[in-house]
Amino acid sequence: MTAIAPPAVAEAAAPGGFWKRHQRRLAPWLFLAPGMLFFLIYVIVPIFQSIWISFYDWDGLSPATWIGFGNYSELWTDDAFYTSLWNNLLWLVLYLAAVPLGLFAALFLNQTVTGVRLYKSLFFFPFVISQVVVGLIFSWFYAPNFGLFSEFTEWVTGREIAVLADERYVTLGIIVAGLWPQIAYCMILFLTGLNNINPEQIEAARMDNARGWRMLWHIVLPQLGPATFIALVVTVIGALRSFDLVSIMTDGGPYGSSRVLSFYMYEQALSEYGFRMGYGAAIAVVLFAIMMVFISVFIVRMFSQERA
Amino acid sequence: MFPAPVAKASPGARFAYSALLPLALIVWLLPLIGVAVTSVRPAGDLAAGNYFGIPSGFAGVENYSAVFQNSPIGQYILNSFKVTIPTVIGAVALSCLTGFALAVYRFKLNLTVFFLFVAGNFIPFQILMVPVRDLTLRAGLYDTTLGLVLFHVAFQTGFCTLFMRNFIKALPFALIESARVEGVSEWKIFRHIVLPLMRPAIAALSVLIFTFVWNDYFWATVLVQGSHAMPVTAGLYSLNGQWIAAWHLVSAGSIVAALPPVAMFFLMQKHFIAGLTLGATKG
Amino acid sequence: MAEVNLSGVRKDFGQVSVIKGVDLAVKDGEFCVFVGPSGCGKSTLLRMIAGLEDISAGELRIGGADVTRIGPSDRGVAMVFQSYALYPHMTVRENIGFGLRMTGHPKEDIQRRTAKAASMLQLQPLLDRKPSQLSGGQRQRVAIGRAIVREPEVFLFDEPLSNLDAALRVQMRAEIATLHHDLGATMIYVTHDQVEAMTMADKIVVLNAGKVEQVGSPLELYHRPKNLFVAGFIGSPKMNFLKAVAAPLPEGRIGVHLPGGGTIALDARGARLLQEEPVTLGIRPEHLELGQAGGGQLTGTLKLAEYLGSETMFFLALENGGELAVKADGLAKAAIGSTLCVGVPARACHLFDSEGRTLVNGDLSA
Repeated sequence: MTAIAPPAVAEAAAPGGFWKRHQRRLAPWLFLAPGMLFFLIYVIVPIFQSIWISFYDWDGLSPATWIGFGNYSELWTDDAFYTSLWNNLLWLVLYLAAVPLGLFAALFLNQTVTGVRLYKSLFFFPFVISQVVVGLIFSWFYAPNFGLFSEFTEWVTGREIAVLADERYVTLGIIVAGLWPQIAYCMILFLTGLNNINPEQIEAARMDNARGWRMLWHIVLPQLGPATFIALVVTVIGALRSFDLVSIMTDGGPYGSSRVLSFYMYEQALSEYGFRMGYGAAIAVVLFAIMMVFISVFIVRMFSQERA
Repeated sequence: MFPAPVAKASPGARFAYSALLPLALIVWLLPLIGVAVTSVRPAGDLAAGNYFGIPSGFAGVENYSAVFQNSPIGQYILNSFKVTIPTVIGAVALSCLTGFALAVYRFKLNLTVFFLFVAGNFIPFQILMVPVRDLTLRAGLYDTTLGLVLFHVAFQTGFCTLFMRNFIKALPFALIESARVEGVSEWKIFRHIVLPLMRPAIAALSVLIFTFVWNDYFWATVLVQGSHAMPVTAGLYSLNGQWIAAWHLVSAGSIVAALPPVAMFFLMQKHFIAGLTLGATKG
Repeated sequence: MAEVNLSGVRKDFGQVSVIKGVDLAVKDGEFCVFVGPSGCGKSTLLRMIAGLEDISAGELRIGGADVTRIGPSDRGVAMVFQSYALYPHMTVRENIGFGLRMTGHPKEDIQRRTAKAASMLQLQPLLDRKPSQLSGGQRQRVAIGRAIVREPEVFLFDEPLSNLDAALRVQMRAEIATLHHDLGATMIYVTHDQVEAMTMADKIVVLNAGKVEQVGSPLELYHRPKNLFVAGFIGSPKMNFLKAVAAPLPEGRIGVHLPGGGTIALDARGARLLQEEPVTLGIRPEHLELGQAGGGQLTGTLKLAEYLGSETMFFLALENGGELAVKADGLAKAAIGSTLCVGVPARACHLFDSEGRTLVNGDLSA
């Protein structure tokens, strides 16, 4: 189906009007037009505009001044930028824990005991809730003096840890909050994947004496390939887009130590520190460049599947 | 089935599993349970330091009515609906058309257009912030729900197109060819054959997009300022600033904000999961 | 009048040719069957006639009009798909009338034609059901009904019976043949099943690798295959092929030295052989004579016997290698491992040259 056929050359001899003759060649573009128009205006063109703006000094109101790579050379020496970059990497690496943890949860729940369906939906619950609510819940969970977590750490270690006020722990604390819904998401992907493995294959493997870890490694995991791929894609994207939790839980603090790129760009471009649109756009371009590395991998993989 | 069904295991293992299951669930949902309990806790408990003990009384009615009376949360919720529902309709409608075009027709740029939608869907949307905000301002739509709707429709169209195209591609192509031989026009093929068969996809996408857009926070803060157009996510954040230490109110507000997508999820669970796990089963 | 004429029709996907130049004339009212192994291009050729695939080169005429570049809806053809392609959300009645409704036919007209088609196919009691509530055979009938209402001049069938079980297939075969008789329309039918081809066709087109190997009536193809491919493809069980050496004999005869040592003298029937050359001897299992020496003789060890009741199939391993299938009477019996003698009647033998072209056909039908 994906082979591209040479378009039929409609001869003038064909009966019917222009529309009738060209219907099948024009139809796809007519069907595509409204959606593509929206997508171009709001998504594709702005990507290029952002790149363009990143070469300007602009406050969003007065005329912009071309400064070439000025914004980028400023980034080069900006400590706050490096903090954000480092935190983004931390997000990326630690967030990926959601994939194996989600698999673990899925294996735990892939049973047929009564009521397990309800358990599965309840385990999935955190994903349905807005990140704003997740952020509030965890702020409260971590709150010094009375938060469940700080009570717990005090009980275990004898001293209290104010996670969100401590530069050492703050990003970790936010990532844990982010993992909560993300594990649920990965879990549901793997549950679906497990559900779709042909039970006869599992039985055949049992006859071949594969059990436990060996069954998981040799038989089950290879078949979960598509589910794992999607889980990785959504987790990487989630890690690089992380904004809501940082904004809700710490507003980038304490002293900017929990900023990530997306938050830092928002702060530079729109917050009370002044509207530095060009500088913000430059940060976004860096984020975009990092993401492009991953996107290209995804796209190449998906593209080759489409071609096959 | 993997792992081996517990039902076939020893009675001891079966008992352990059935005990572990609720325990794990409670630990997993502990933060949420805490919030739910706090939302019905009398304000006096918090002042007295009773954060996690048994509430001294049930103050759910007071707390929730306080939230609605003393804050514009009702307005926020209404705004969220004003943003979410038109977005769902718009994005689903547009993607039915684009998905059909990309699934049914063979033309040179087919894959290119398709991957433009797919790639756009993956980008960190922060890169769109400055230009989209500027565009919305210039169109006079800043601080309106319509401004948010237009952006969400456009952005979600990427994901929806991917979804719809794959769904239509899985339909038997002979249905379309058979109609073509019968002389049915392309639009009527879409309208009378493909569209009726897309109902499950439309349902799945609607609940997904509803949840995504309802839960959006970033764009709500970028494109809206005043409470007259502010969705509940951004609204809750600003309320959080006003209700310092009034955790019973924050909790009640959070529950209210979370309720619509949760209800949607439980009502349409099958469609929701089918939509979310698209692609998790086949390449 | 709706004869279908193809001249030099080709289908190329980039560098790859799927249909490599087909010339064919299907007469008005004829039942023409395209048959061939899977991947031979028979379905593609049918879809090109339907207008579902573009024609890369050549010309297609239906009823005299050039329709090479015309869309499927304007060719006056109707098609029955292998998967039936019934619209799952419509009732049988809606399925049958859909095409007419979409092309703006008046309501009464649609009703009248639907009723007529339904009565021809005994679909009246099923008109308000959805396809999911029908059996395979019933779905098949609905698919045919959908073609009939359009009153086309040419019907196209793409392996319509391949999803049915064996018994239903026999029944539907007869129904389609009756339909052809009643409607008198031109029908083109694709199948990989040569029994279907033999039983239904006025004319069979054998396709292989995008080319027409032979066109002819069923018995013509059975008795006078033009080449090794057609000889092997038509007929079940398959024709036996033996490597042999042929030499010219006087009086227009050809001597074939069998691998077992014997020699058969055939009537050359016009074939000219100048010197000794390697050939392939073809003989159908049903023409071999067990235990009789007629013309030539072959001996082999019995490897497998299939007792089908009406007949018995023996599979022999010949002394010098090579295998031979023999169709014998239903009462014949032999022990595995025993040695059997098989007579090869000269007038049932076909000879093919080293390129697979026919030198001599048997003359059983003559």
